[in-house]
Amino acid sequence: MSKLFFDNLIVFEEVENKIDSIAKTEEERNELWGIVDSLIRHRALGLIFEKLPKTYHPEFLNMFHQAPHDETLIDYLKEKIGENIEELLRQELGNLAYELLEEFASAKK
Amino acid sequence: MGGKLPTQTYHQIAKGVDFESLRSRLKLKQIEAKKAFSKKYPDVERYLAEKGIDLERLRQHSAKIIGAGALTGTLLLTPPVQKALPPPQEIIDKAKAEKEGGEAEFPQKILIDILNETLPERPRPLTRSEEKYLEQVFENIIGVKARATLEGEHLNTTYGLIGAEQHLKRYPGDTIAGHQPHLKAGIAPGLGAWGYFAPSKDKLTKELEETEKWYAVVQTLYLPDWNTRQPYLRDWYKYRKVLIVNTQNGNAVVAAIADSGPAAWTGKQFGGSPEVMEYLGGPRYKKGPVVLFFVDDPENKVPLGPVDYNTINLPPTALKEI
Repeated sequence: MSKLFFDNLIVFEEVENKIDSIAKTEEERNELWGIVDSLIRHRALGLIFEKLPKTYHPEFLNMFHQAPHDETLIDYLKEKIGENIEELLRQELGNLAYELLEEFASAKK
Repeated sequence: MGGKLPTQTYHQIAKGVDFESLRSRLKLKQIEAKKAFSKKYPDVERYLAEKGIDLERLRQHSAKIIGAGALTGTLLLTPPVQKALPPPQEIIDKAKAEKEGGEAEFPQKILIDILNETLPERPRPLTRSEEKYLEQVFENIIGVKARATLEGEHLNTTYGLIGAEQHLKRYPGDTIAGHQPHLKAGIAPGLGAWGYFAPSKDKLTKELEETEKWYAVVQTLYLPDWNTRQPYLRDWYKYRKVLIVNTQNGNAVVAAIADSGPAAWTGKQFGGSPEVMEYLGGPRYKKGPVVLFFVDDPENKVPLGPVDYNTINLPPTALKEI
């Protein structure tokens, strides 16, 4: 299992279906999966570091490094940020899904 | 018939999308995201670099940690409540004794009770001792010798969520019409990880037909040694038989691995053909928790398809004419 603590907030079913429809080979599919994964990571972590006060960055990074899959990291973030980071992440990733679907539409020939 | 189902309309949108064009657009977006992140959070990048972690290889890092945790039983995915379980044989004997005493309990009910007792509520990689325990339970109740580790190979997880997949093209020119009766699921436009099952329709044997019908998808792409142990691993996993057990209702099926996936960000760890999914959970079953072990079948005697282990010898008096 390869898991990041915010994976359960990702709802990319439509993106998943589109990739399945476009990729003709396993290699093509893996490549698109990898790019989407990278975008998700950057967006999610970008939002977290934007919201989390800088003094907590080293502590969070240390915890994240030790257990990137640990879902209790969300509780830590909620406490330090003081906002519903879960909901904010959901929104951010929802926006990303929307942007990706737009890319699919724009790439149409 | 003939009309497209709402769930398949994305095929129309995707039709005509050029892969290269899409790839370039997404790549550009990825580069921009990486640049923006590096510019805004250089300290974070520096910290990760010091720890030897590349943000692009975060999932491999996670898989490594989870794998090590499963070995030592120190996973943090859920509170590590390791229940003290009685030896599997004890549970099975008890269930059998109850049956002989007149209270006929279906093996499936016994299995569900054991799974409820053994497994954590939310899927996570199992510890080796949990896996060993389930191996014995499956062998004794389901009657299939299945192993979490076979010939030294082990998946990143053996307990996870399975999702519904489409049919796979078995030979060039294969269409959904040839996959009766499960037409609603559709056929994947691309090929499975091992390509066509046969080079042409006339080369499609009954065995290969069954393989596509009862196929499973596992995340070989995230195996830590997938890239370094080729072509051995590719050959080893091709059509490898697995036992899939729905942990909620005890339904079990033997399937053959014929594709790689799903993507980690889908939250699923396995996939099943339309036939596999219907048997595991019924026609509306799209996703659910399962345990997936390799079938130890060196003589290739275990058939693909449903495992009907629920038949019990009812006493003649129990049979009534309606």
